[in-house]
Amino acid sequence: MQVMSERTSQRGVMKASQQDTADKAAELLAKVAESRSRAAFSELFSHFAPKLQAYGTRQFGNEQTAMDLVQETMTNVWHKAHLFKPDRGSPSTWIFTIARNIRFDLLRKNKKRKDDISADELWPILAEKNDSLDDGYALDNDVLMQEIAHYYGQLPNAQRVVVEKIYIEGKSQQEVSDSLGIPLGTVKSRTRLALKKLKELIVEHD
Amino acid sequence: MIKSHPSEAILYQYAAGDLGASMTLVVGTHIDMCPVCQQTVGEIEEDLCRQHLDTVVETLTVPSSDHEGISKAHCDKMLEEIFSSEAKPPVKAEELICLEGRRFILPRTLAHNRSRIGDWTNMVGKLWRAPVNVGPKGHTNLIYMAPGTQVPEHTHKGQEATLVVDGVFNDEKDIYYNGDFILLDGERTHTPQTTDHDCLTLATLDAPLHFTSGISRLLNPFSSLFFRT
Repeated sequence: MQVMSERTSQRGVMKASQQDTADKAAELLAKVAESRSRAAFSELFSHFAPKLQAYGTRQFGNEQTAMDLVQETMTNVWHKAHLFKPDRGSPSTWIFTIARNIRFDLLRKNKKRKDDISADELWPILAEKNDSLDDGYALDNDVLMQEIAHYYGQLPNAQRVVVEKIYIEGKSQQEVSDSLGIPLGTVKSRTRLALKKLKELIVEHD
Repeated sequence: MIKSHPSEAILYQYAAGDLGASMTLVVGTHIDMCPVCQQTVGEIEEDLCRQHLDTVVETLTVPSSDHEGISKAHCDKMLEEIFSSEAKPPVKAEELICLEGRRFILPRTLAHNRSRIGDWTNMVGKLWRAPVNVGPKGHTNLIYMAPGTQVPEHTHKGQEATLVVDGVFNDEKDIYYNGDFILLDGERTHTPQTTDHDCLTLATLDAPLHFTSGISRLLNPFSSLFFRT
């Protein structure tokens, strides 16, 4: 991902290019999920493996264990790319949480007993059941639709349309993208921004 | 509305993976129930990611960096192994737990550990306990109090974290509802009790309970019953 190397030289555009990097990584993850693209995965690997290796080296002080962390983390990314939900956060944060789980298991490996607990049980981030949208951003069940409707008025029009189509009409993000004629990435980022905003409004109001 | 939350320091340790298994389970189950802490943990994870991953400058594509980075050959080998690997089967979740004719739906994290929950045993009166096997060091239990149950007054020799999974209980200080997370240390004496409602809690102790009042002091020799797994 070339945007990353530009970033270091041009601090002023760091924010924008970070967003570009995140969008690019999200696209690559989608390609891995949808078509098992090895090329897309290799690109993700070149970007994240050195970062994971540096994290592992600092955590374990041991090159071999650091490489195990890289491999196990990226193996999960390869198999579980479909579980990445762009409306919940950035690709790098998702990959970080996978690495955090692998680290937890590697640290306990030495003292491991037969039925010892694994990080996947404690942080079920890779559970298949993850994918329902409503369990995602955890709008409190107690907040009724009517109450939420009041907050919709405060969203920008473009975001409100997207959220209504997904959460009220039950359309998928791809369907919304098709019906509005806007890119999928835009639908995803509008959903994310709108839910974040709604959540802030609701939390504030409580 | 949940009013009693883990401290930000605990949430930070949770997100970094620095808590022990049993405390991670209790805090994680609270987070399942608490939109406020979900948001905080999401932000902490972003922050940790920025520190640990995003700020690292890539070394991979520089060909001469075979000491610092990962060599091309090593990369290719790893990629091959990844492509030919099998996906791990996902951890199974089971949401339902029953006791004395009551049915409870377990929050997500706890549901993923359903197979680690042992059988219910009656302790005293209408107080029940089921051990949660989360590794050798954790003394973690589901505790069920029927309506009108009192746990004899006690202090803790170590720390006790309690999460209300479903129901209501109170002690001398306050009343606790679904999702409330309570952390107590050895300095506080308390007498948890239920009145009109029953209560299912998840509790983890790192030392035995110590009973402090009247006849319940006689229970002290048996206090290990409260957390033996």
